Amino acid sequence: MHIAIWLTGQEVGMKYFEDIELGEVWDLGSRAVSEAEIIEFATQYDPQPFHIDAALAEQGFFGGLIASGWHTCAIFMGLLADFIKARKLASMGAPGIEHCRWLVPVRPGDVLHGRTTVLALRPSRSKPMGLVTCRTELVNQRGAKVAQLQGVGMYSCRPAADARATAAVGGLI
Amino acid sequence: MIYLEDIVVGQEREFGCYEVTEEEVMDFARRYDDQPFHIDKEAAKDSIYGGLIASGWHTCAMFMRMACDAQSGQHQMAMMGSPGFDDLKWLRPVRPGDVLSARSKILSARPSDNKPDRGTVRIQIWVLNQNGEVVMEMTSMGRYLRRPDNFDA
Repeated sequence: MHIAIWLTGQEVGMKYFEDIELGEVWDLGSRAVSEAEIIEFATQYDPQPFHIDAALAEQGFFGGLIASGWHTCAIFMGLLADFIKARKLASMGAPGIEHCRWLVPVRPGDVLHGRTTVLALRPSRSKPMGLVTCRTELVNQRGAKVAQLQGVGMYSCRPAADARATAAVGGLI
Repeated sequence: MIYLEDIVVGQEREFGCYEVTEEEVMDFARRYDDQPFHIDKEAAKDSIYGGLIASGWHTCAMFMRMACDAQSGQHQMAMMGSPGFDDLKWLRPVRPGDVLSARSKILSARPSDNKPDRGTVRIQIWVLNQNGEVVMEMTSMGRYLRRPDNFDA
């Protein structure tokens, strides 16, 4: 029952699996991407010339420095983590991503905005949690969709002490 | 230069050795995924994970570093980035002290239907820990140029 103990840190307004609705749209807000951050991320994790060397990148296929796709994913996660915190969502991590497409290069100075749609809700058969399938689109300041990804998140069910949720979850499992 | 035509379907590789440190786990997560089980040792102990674990996106980033290192000093690839990936699964937690490595297998290498100068390579990726357990898997994609004399530009 450590999940319940952890989550019943009794934060008021905590949102559980049962509080997430099908079709809900989450505005994740925006995050700016600087040249320094692109180079720093890629120097550590994806040191290909078009991510770390502005001069070489100018002459290359992309015509300038672009962010690592993994950096774009990390920025998405940063936006989602901020949203989870702001909305007090009882997130328990994620089992995976069904698909992700990097559609348009992310360049220094871009501001990425995230929008997530809840596509499916499924209670776990073995644990007091639910699986939430979401699709997220990241759009830059010019309105171009730079990435689209669909994945699953795990969210805790309302702790059993709460009778209303016990009834709701009991009906589903 | 390695072009699309040089990619051998079915070829397997093993590469990488990446030691996961607590400092790096928390550093990555503070910037990009600051959920309690990634940044707060005490809170992580009480979570379903029983201790601090790396962000799944950090595992992706560490895999990418191993892939880049494995390629350095090899033939240059006529590669134009990646369109994305499919079926990424974080199968087991990655913890501080783990040592990661990777395996890959080329699934397909196909010319593009509408752009004659390029094609897409699909690669199955497995990331393993020091016990040989798969911690992450995915199908990744790479966009490669075709050998210039092999298509009518």
